[in-house]
Amino acid sequence: MDIARLKSSFARVARHGDEVPLHFYSDLFLKHPETRGMFPVSMQAQRAHLVAALVTIVQSIDDQESLTAIAADLGRDHRKFGTLAEHYEAVGDSLVATFAYFCGDAWDAALETDWKAAYELIASVMVTAAREDEKHNPAYWTGTVVARERKAFDISVLTVQPQPRLDYVPGQSVAIESPARPRLWRYYSMANAPRANGSLEFHIRLTDGGAVSMALTTHAVSGTELRIGPPVGNLRLDPAPGREILMVAGSTGLAPLKAMVEQLATIAQPPAVHLFFGARAADGLYDLPGLEKFAAEHRWLTVVPVVSNGRSPGLTGSLTDTVMRSGTWSAHDAYIAGPTEMVQDSAARLAAAGMPAAQIHVEDFGWSEQ
Amino acid sequence: MTSDAWYDEQHRLTPDQLQTVSFPLTRWARQGYEEEPVRAFLSEVQAEMVRLINERASLWQEVQRLRRRILGTTNGNDAVLFGKDDAHIHAVRILSSAQRTADRYVADAQAYSGRLTEEARVRRDEIMGQAQQHADILLTEARTRARAAAVAAMDNEGLPPQTDQERRAVHAELAYLRTFSEVYRQHLKIYTEDVLRTIEDWEGKERAAARDIEVPPGAGIRGHDSPGIR
Repeated sequence: MDIARLKSSFARVARHGDEVPLHFYSDLFLKHPETRGMFPVSMQAQRAHLVAALVTIVQSIDDQESLTAIAADLGRDHRKFGTLAEHYEAVGDSLVATFAYFCGDAWDAALETDWKAAYELIASVMVTAAREDEKHNPAYWTGTVVARERKAFDISVLTVQPQPRLDYVPGQSVAIESPARPRLWRYYSMANAPRANGSLEFHIRLTDGGAVSMALTTHAVSGTELRIGPPVGNLRLDPAPGREILMVAGSTGLAPLKAMVEQLATIAQPPAVHLFFGARAADGLYDLPGLEKFAAEHRWLTVVPVVSNGRSPGLTGSLTDTVMRSGTWSAHDAYIAGPTEMVQDSAARLAAAGMPAAQIHVEDFGWSEQ
Repeated sequence: MTSDAWYDEQHRLTPDQLQTVSFPLTRWARQGYEEEPVRAFLSEVQAEMVRLINERASLWQEVQRLRRRILGTTNGNDAVLFGKDDAHIHAVRILSSAQRTADRYVADAQAYSGRLTEEARVRRDEIMGQAQQHADILLTEARTRARAAAVAAMDNEGLPPQTDQERRAVHAELAYLRTFSEVYRQHLKIYTEDVLRTIEDWEGKERAAARDIEVPPGAGIRGHDSPGIR
């Protein structure tokens, strides 16, 4: 397999941008109309997913180990969409046809053979991982909404009972599909440590124009059955002896951090935790009473509410500024979750202030998200 | 293959044939047509055919030019445009353009829904701000009165009301304060309830709007169907 040539031909194809996934899906849907029903009406986000996955795969095509890991994740992740073994062949055909089309004169039999071989390799890892996963896990979990509580104007807390039991590590998230918005999956973090009864708590913020968040905050009444994908994400507790913890939560970014705080409460001698919880206005601090109650019961936890506009029950100012002003953190382990910009800003400023990269943990959905 | 080869390959009538055509003469000359008018007519037919053929050739070239433009190729080889694959690529292009339209519809609907919720958020912030201000004013007023009452009480400490008149005045002041607090509590309650009602009203409207744009599951574009909005 001529890997340099695969990479250069991919670069050539990638120059055509959104045209490439557009061509691929049209080709697939024309040749296999039955696959259209597996996708949402708008394919805009889907095309970006495909390109992101392809880029990741091609980047690591000469690194057998990470390629296998990526493909296995991808295979397991596709089970919830109802992907079957025969779909892989159809996708491979359309993918090779698409590459051939955009390569133009540079396409030849040798390149076609190489691309087919590369695809078969990846598809076989995906199929094997999916088959292996079938032995332990369902394609998706059915999550019955047991409670929905509106905590703020635009934030609801959903309690969901998954069937069968869903095992996860605090900090991880799952993709959720609402029956009101079929085929649209959005990732939400579990906001609690695993419970004896297996129920899960999700913090849903209504985003303007967000189809799924609207479905979950208004349509998901008690008894609604949601579909839940397998747990994903690399954010998890990694406590080091003697090191204290800094947590920075922006809005519903609180969810994964709250799950970790609950997890810490189960260990023998939890390290001291400084949790900064920020929102635009005071009523956005939706879970503050619960947190303060928890902090009163667990002396190792300090909760600092931060509001950027208007009155604050704690500190006032931008969340990142406030955190940076409030202490010297470089010897702490940091866990940051919330809006992407805030997370990146906080991580960059902590690093600039001398915190080693290995101590900064941010929410990372990997390539499969957004 | 040249661009006008499509009509040469078959045995079809050409203007040249009209020019040179000859008919056998009838045995008795008076039963045949006069040769000159027939020739004249044929020459008109010939001219018309030449015009038609030229028109067809130029239309054909135009079709080719447009097709090349659609396929984005400057390849002059016409045969390439007639393969089975090209019909497929053409279909891919049509479907892709339909998909783009569908994407645009969904994006528009989402933007609209986004604007609605944003407006609701802004108005809600305004109303809550006003309510907060009102409550602040009421509280300040109540606090001022309470302070005044406390000061008055302290001033009179150890000096019980001396006269009936003074006692009556204190009772009247107390009654006033009670009424005041009662009235303002009612006032605040009504105001809060009104705000809550407005918010519920909006919620109802939001739900109705969400229902209106709902399309049954499974609806959507398949092939060339018109796109649905979800």
